[in-house]
Amino acid sequence: MLRAALLGLADGVILFDPGLRLILCNAAARHRLGWVGAPPRRGLTLASWLDHAGGLDPAERSVIREHCAALLAGDAAPAPGRDSAAAEKDLAFGDFTLRLRRLDGQGIMISLATGGDDGEAALRDPLTGLGNRRAFQAALAAALARAESEAALLLLDLDRFKHVNDSLGHPVGDALLRLVAQRLRASLRAGDTLVRLGGDEFAILLPRAEGAEPLAERLVDLLSRPYLVEGHLANIGVSIGIARAPADATEGGMLLRRADLALYAAKAAGRRQFCRFRPEMDARAQARQALETDLRRAVALGQFHLYYQPLLEVASGAVIGFEALLRWAHPTRGMVSPTEFIPLAEEVGLIVPIGEWVLRQACRAAASWPETVLVAVNVSPVQFADGARLLRAVDEALAGAGLSGMRLEIEITESVLLHDAAETLAILHDLRGRGVRIAMDDFGTGYSSLSQLRSFPFDKIKIDRSFVSEIEGQSGGKAVVRAIAALGASLGMTVTVEGVETEAQAHFVASSGGHQMQGYLISRPVPADDVAALLARLPARTARLSHETRDGI
Amino acid sequence: MKQELYRVVYCSRVRLSGPPAGIVGHLRHILATSRRNNVRADISGALLFANNCFAQTLEGPRVEVERCFERIQNDPRHSDVTVLEFGPASAREFPKWSMGFAGEPGAAHDPLAFVVFEGAFAGERPESGSAVLGLLHGLVRREEAWALA
Ligand SMILES: Cc1cc2nc3c(=O)[nH]c(=O)nc-3n(C[C@H](O)[C@H](O)[C@H](O)COP(=O)(O)O)c2cc1C
Repeated sequence: MLRAALLGLADGVILFDPGLRLILCNAAARHRLGWVGAPPRRGLTLASWLDHAGGLDPAERSVIREHCAALLAGDAAPAPGRDSAAAEKDLAFGDFTLRLRRLDGQGIMISLATGGDDGEAALRDPLTGLGNRRAFQAALAAALARAESEAALLLLDLDRFKHVNDSLGHPVGDALLRLVAQRLRASLRAGDTLVRLGGDEFAILLPRAEGAEPLAERLVDLLSRPYLVEGHLANIGVSIGIARAPADATEGGMLLRRADLALYAAKAAGRRQFCRFRPEMDARAQARQALETDLRRAVALGQFHLYYQPLLEVASGAVIGFEALLRWAHPTRGMVSPTEFIPLAEEVGLIVPIGEWVLRQACRAAASWPETVLVAVNVSPVQFADGARLLRAVDEALAGAGLSGMRLEIEITESVLLHDAAETLAILHDLRGRGVRIAMDDFGTGYSSLSQLRSFPFDKIKIDRSFVSEIEGQSGGKAVVRAIAALGASLGMTVTVEGVETEAQAHFVASSGGHQMQGYLISRPVPADDVAALLARLPARTARLSHETRDGI
Repeated sequence: MKQELYRVVYCSRVRLSGPPAGIVGHLRHILATSRRNNVRADISGALLFANNCFAQTLEGPRVEVERCFERIQNDPRHSDVTVLEFGPASAREFPKWSMGFAGEPGAAHDPLAFVVFEGAFAGERPESGSAVLGLLHGLVRREEAWALA
């Protein structure tokens, strides 16, 4: 009778005998733990019982195993100094708690406190009513219970959702997620599992290997259709990664990783599309991983070097400064192009320490140059995310080298101003307060707008090299250079033209009002040791540096 | 509490194929469903079928317009939905119609509709919304017989 009562309990209850063999595991417990397979029989070992609990991850399983063993050991011989009354242990796993209780001489009882929720709630995403991550783990384990099981996993990531959420507010974002969930739900068949993994990520598990692609195609179309939500029009899209069992993986964790690689590929290919896992994605991920490992070591191993390219003043023909350019010489990879490793360094956050090293190194080099010559350093948008750290790095680099702030120029790209413009502008003003000049790099390539140029009194704009290479052609390069030069001049900014390679280009730059130029015609970037020789060949400017830009800022 | 009046204007590409008779059947079905649902939801509006495109306006309480639009989004009988206008409206344009209709399946392309649709899908003309609305107005009036069918 007791057994019957326990089995029918709304709370999850599991009993093990002193040998850790199962006495009882009620329906509520099975449900909450994401039970896989037929109801358990008496006598099942703790280990195999845990194997069936699909809602628990491996770490959680081993924690339970350890604590059960510890409780029983305490039962046998309470350790001196340890509270022998510690016959109970609560294990909190994210959204639910397991209570282990030693029954005097009788074994262990595990209960799952429902904490007022019903058992369902622990597996449910409250916003959309879909299953949550835990329900997904259970479903995944159940779907792949047998080695020959067929399944397909679709991982979905909404495109531009963050933008909508930021611009229209969280309540609208939440309502939008509910509409997305509804559209997804309407597209599935009985037996398919749909969950929200968190944020704007969803997953669909099909109990069959075929049919994933037509479904993905339909979903890309369906979720990209416009939404009317809380009085607003919202447009988002979706990227989808697909992996299939048993072709791509036979185990849940691997299936998930491979679907994730496919999702990454879909996003990289331009979003609003789906991608199936292909074996070469594994290879690519490994290559990326290896590059990241090498990158982490590169600073310590002294594999980074700075090269310096002179900036020439058009009017006087004098060198007024050098731009510091990062080079990575890897013992086996050779020279690794910045276009290859900078994006990765930005993605994994390594750009912050690397950027700090560049600042220190560049300032130290500049300290040995004539006092009229400045150094320009590129700073990544990622470094602007932690403004206090960036300012500290600049201060330390200047102080460490004994360099005046007026001899440092910081080059930023237009994208810096895209995120949290107010915060960024505050940092720029703080830098300016230290005498540091601010240059807008690669102007004209990205999101350039006049309003951006007006948002901060830049000391300088650098016209992107792509326009310069078009100067001699028929396309609009000339007109663009002329227009930007006029614009810069009217805003009181110095205009620098990059990528000058021929005499004809240099003449054009001079005649169209560019103030400074940089490029192979003048000099390639040179190692620090060659700067002195270069300055012997090209005159450094003689006038002392001063703050040339407009007052009152 | 009476809800604020909202209006949406959109156009989309028809994803119906088959002989004209079959298409007429689909259209009748869509209209019958629309009229049934819209009366209940206090929605009025008009639907145009021309040059293999739909243009539609829905007007009514905001929540109802959003709910109806969401149902229509899930409909595979059209695609490439482009919203031209969505926001509060001062008065209904089609107070008499739960869903007025204009269009003649199988008929020659309507040059006026063609111009308006091209502009609307290109998404470059801010006035597309009112252009489509004007088009709907003119045509729905002209084809009252259809609308009553
Ligand atoms: C171009 C187009 C316009 C539609 N307009 C409406 C409409 O105004 N109202 C409506 O309820 N359904 C409309 N529908 C039909 C919906 O997509 C959907 O099929 C219908 O609302 C389902 O209603 P039911 O659940 O009552 O069958 C339209 C469909 C299409 C393709």
